Amino acid sequence: MKRVFFIVLTAALVGIPLFANGGDEPEKSSGPVTIEFWTTETQSDRQATIQVLVDTFQIMNPDITVNVIPVDENDMATQINAAAAAGTLPALIEAATPNTVAFGSAGLLDRSAATEMIDEIGRDKFYSGVLKLNQTGAGDGFYSLPFHGWVQGIWYRNDWFEKAGLNPPETWEDILKAAKYFYDPAKNQYGILVGTMAEAYSEQCFTQFAMSNNAGLFDKNGNLIFNSPAMKETVEYYAELAKYNPPGPQTWRARDYYLQGKMAMFFYSTYIMDDLALAEVAAGSLTAENFAELAGSSFDPDLVKNTRMVPIISNKRPAGYGTIVSLAFPDTGDSAKTAAARKFVRYLYSPNAYITFLHMAPGGMNPVLKEIATNPRFQQDPKKIFENYGPEKMAEIINGLDSIETFGIVDGKRIDAASVIYSKQIIPQMIYKVTQEGMSVDEAMSWAEAEMKKIM
Amino acid sequence: MSTKLNLQQRESVLGWGLIAPSVIIILSLILYPILTNIFSSFFKVSLMEPDTFIGLENYRNIVTDGSFWRAVLVTFVYVTGTTIGTTLVGLGVALVMNRKFPLRGFVRSLILLPYVAPVFSVVYAWKFFFDPVNGLFIDITVERLGLFDQRFNLIGNPESALWVAIIFSIWKNFPFTYLMLLSRLQAIDRNLYEAADVDGAGGWQKFRYITMPELYFVMGSIVLLRVIWNFNKFEDIYLLTDNVKVLSVYTYFKAFVGVAELGQGSALVILQFALLVGFILYYVKKVLKW
Repeated sequence: MKRVFFIVLTAALVGIPLFANGGDEPEKSSGPVTIEFWTTETQSDRQATIQVLVDTFQIMNPDITVNVIPVDENDMATQINAAAAAGTLPALIEAATPNTVAFGSAGLLDRSAATEMIDEIGRDKFYSGVLKLNQTGAGDGFYSLPFHGWVQGIWYRNDWFEKAGLNPPETWEDILKAAKYFYDPAKNQYGILVGTMAEAYSEQCFTQFAMSNNAGLFDKNGNLIFNSPAMKETVEYYAELAKYNPPGPQTWRARDYYLQGKMAMFFYSTYIMDDLALAEVAAGSLTAENFAELAGSSFDPDLVKNTRMVPIISNKRPAGYGTIVSLAFPDTGDSAKTAAARKFVRYLYSPNAYITFLHMAPGGMNPVLKEIATNPRFQQDPKKIFENYGPEKMAEIINGLDSIETFGIVDGKRIDAASVIYSKQIIPQMIYKVTQEGMSVDEAMSWAEAEMKKIM
Repeated sequence: MSTKLNLQQRESVLGWGLIAPSVIIILSLILYPILTNIFSSFFKVSLMEPDTFIGLENYRNIVTDGSFWRAVLVTFVYVTGTTIGTTLVGLGVALVMNRKFPLRGFVRSLILLPYVAPVFSVVYAWKFFFDPVNGLFIDITVERLGLFDQRFNLIGNPESALWVAIIFSIWKNFPFTYLMLLSRLQAIDRNLYEAADVDGAGGWQKFRYITMPELYFVMGSIVLLRVIWNFNKFEDIYLLTDNVKVLSVYTYFKAFVGVAELGQGSALVILQFALLVGFILYYVKKVLKW
């Protein structure tokens, strides 16, 4: 084994410079190649699955060695910048699309490799909205290939809604009505959970409302149009909704209150499907069964059956929100490595490998290829999520990927300043000021606008 | 000139050789960062491009920003509150623990628990305890005793968060003060108290004229340490409340959250350092009378 490794390594070391000199025939990978694959799936069980996929690939392609390197999502940008500076970029990365787009616009990615790869798989095979998120600013190609994604939505107690004769929380009016109806703090029961802490979750909840009200940060020419009547209306509505939250500033962790049967609705990604379905997770949470002193209700095994999800919210128009994770080819300047990485990516999109990958987190990792969504093997996931939610609901969720909208894309054009505003958490801070510090909406919006202008 | 070293010279070469590793470590890990910090506070620092010299612009931005002065005020309240609190509680507990009673040894070590427990775990215990929906505190005060008419988020609310942070710090740090004061109390000569008894002094008088003067310099040093530690305190406050913007938390947000403003972060640290050094110089002269 050691010897084989040594031979491969030596061959790789010898072969790569030879190949680099060879120049013109990138696709014909003649010598052994070793590539690095950086992935944000850092959990050990996911690492194990990815390694199985890699081992299988290596058996089929004995001249390619893929080294899987886990990189924390929050470190990805720093690591890529450092690798670019040191000339040690990996041949392939898997990262959230806002990141791959940022790397692409900084000139760190091989755009033509990604564009060719998408054409090879077939543009029409992808959900078009998902593809658009990976497009270059000029619209002449793609920075990266969408791989999988999660959708955000309102998860709610269908049994409570039915009993109360309320409509599912799909429109502004119905959401507010239900939040008011179920808010009963005297019984330690709350209407809804929307983010009110100064952190990303608040912006994720808020964005979907803003989009459904046609309230953007920028026009298509990149001019700041934040301080608009539509935005003000959204902030006011959001602040009103936040009154039916559990007390004080809240973030996604408060989803536990839903699992304990103390909340009617909450915003969350489809990664929650796991938690809802696996009884242990909720049972291990804080309940009166575990803590007799607490005046709470016990774990409800029917919670999954009684939980429904609304992925699209409507006011002036329907809007969805979520995040796509993409594959990208950093510009290593070594065509042999890029060719090997392309071969590996082609393999990752083949139905068997792709489905194995997605099944690491059913519900959380959703396919971006239309035909996989309806593939029977994909629908028989090991954690029985499909069985629990039914194929129709799953199809609705996966379709939700196609209508993901962000402040950063206006009429198909990407506005870079939006990502800076996002990372400075200006909108979450504004929400905090309004909902927790009692600042007036006008005052908070002027503050936010001034902050946005400062960094532009 | 002879190349041979005499004994004294050899001694000093050996001396330098022995302290050289520490000197190098101190220079590279403490002095160098401080100097670079001062240097970069005059620049607009960029991670990808070369830095641009902007003179005092970073400092001007900071002192004209209202949120900086708010952070100074919050820090002042926090440091004053926690220092007074830990000192008084520590003193009180030390006086009690200096008396003989059954199981004293056991109680003495039990009191140290908040100080030795890892901050991460006690912070989460507090968060759990004060949770507005599931917490024991609310369950007792609202549901069982009816002291308040509705549930509230004590740690989360901006008005109460600072006070919770202060109380947390007092609870966590008083054992250190207690430990120092107790060891000093035990070293006070019993004859002094006996002589006072002969003179007919009461309990308060003995405390005022014997105990306090004996404790003065220990207490003065502890107060100074507490001010330095809590002035730079980050982890307790950030983990517990995340909306109490003392200077260190404020600097963290400025320098590292989102778009990194490292130049401004450096300037902030320099200002914080200057404030602290100013206080120490004043305190050492006036209170410790060095």
